[in-house]
Amino acid sequence: MKYQPSLPEHNDNVSHQQPVREFFMLMAGVLAFVLIGYWALGLVVDVAVDYLSPEQEAQLHNTLDIDWDMGEETKPDEQAKLQSLVDSITPCLALPYPITVSLVQSDAVNAIAVPGGKMVVFSGLLDSVSSTNGLMFVLAHELGHFKNRDHLRLMGRGIVLSILAMLALGGDSGFSDILASTINLRTAKYSQTRESQADRTALQALQCHFGHVGGATELFESLKSREEGLSFEMLHYFSSHPELQQRIDNLHQLAKELGFSQQKIQD
Amino acid sequence: MDSLIIFLVLLSLGYVFGKLAEGRHYRSIHAREEMLVRLPATSCKKPMEHSIPISHAELVHGHVVISVDYFKQMLAGLRNIFGGTIQSYETLLDRARREAILRMKERCPTANQILNLRIETSSISKGGSGDRIGAVEVLAYGTAIYFQQASPSLSHP
Repeated sequence: MKYQPSLPEHNDNVSHQQPVREFFMLMAGVLAFVLIGYWALGLVVDVAVDYLSPEQEAQLHNTLDIDWDMGEETKPDEQAKLQSLVDSITPCLALPYPITVSLVQSDAVNAIAVPGGKMVVFSGLLDSVSSTNGLMFVLAHELGHFKNRDHLRLMGRGIVLSILAMLALGGDSGFSDILASTINLRTAKYSQTRESQADRTALQALQCHFGHVGGATELFESLKSREEGLSFEMLHYFSSHPELQQRIDNLHQLAKELGFSQQKIQD
Repeated sequence: MDSLIIFLVLLSLGYVFGKLAEGRHYRSIHAREEMLVRLPATSCKKPMEHSIPISHAELVHGHVVISVDYFKQMLAGLRNIFGGTIQSYETLLDRARREAILRMKERCPTANQILNLRIETSSISKGGSGDRIGAVEVLAYGTAIYFQQASPSLSHP
């Protein structure tokens, strides 16, 4: 036997493929899996929310103990006024627990249903609606979110997202911190069906309280006229928000369907 | 968000420097293999030429520890989920084995043959699942034999 020194021409032990392509393919697979998981668990949340009793909800909120940090309350008088408005319409909605109103100084024209039976009203809202009926509709709309448990749906999805984020990134900070950062209540938006469901509940509450639904569209009318007065650039920003005219039309349509009258409102 | 940025930075650093290091290492391996190709290292237990008497034999070994880069480690982690060949680790082991054999040969440049070659691989991992070191140690050892200098009396009895 004679030894013939030679080196192999090809290295067959190493695959000559593109690792970057492989990485992106696998990553896309993982992402697709996570997205499907998020979507499916979101549906589970929707089902679970219907079975959650108010006591369990309170317990859940106490356990998670999230600091929502909405801003400072500066006007106790107006806050008390809002509180009495909310208290007066609450019986019409048959809510299982009392809602506490918190008036926060901010230019935002908005009100938010915060988990834990708290409603945050931004002071910009009070400048945009002049009539009690108009204001009451917005409050009733937020109460409608409580009644339909949309805040729990939002929080449930936030919990799912936090768990997925913790699994993916290996969270170092506490669960509550991650949860609070995944759910940004200021920018959170409910789906269109949830919004129109809350609108429906609000209309019913308004009819129950005032005997008519006049003023329901006041906020949207006022926002619309303000929008029309804006320059082009500003319009571009606002156009990413839900169509106001659409919302007004839907409310009129809904009131008609339910057989509610829309009386004119005096300021 | 911060951890995502750190992850992406580590990933690209790992890819760029891992690729550079691997290219440099392969160039070195190819050049040295060319130089040492005349010293056979086999798993045979007996010398290939029986006729030549052996003056002495010695144990030689070479070993190396090489780590994968962050990018390859992540790629292997993803492969772990879906299954399949972990191609990103192939070059790591290929380089480690060849380097270990080269180091072993470099210990005995004047030897005639290396017999009974054995290669052993062990993985070095430290820490939890989060930040573990993905490295392998490869040890190559064998018996280097030196033939007796061909003396006139031996070649022509």
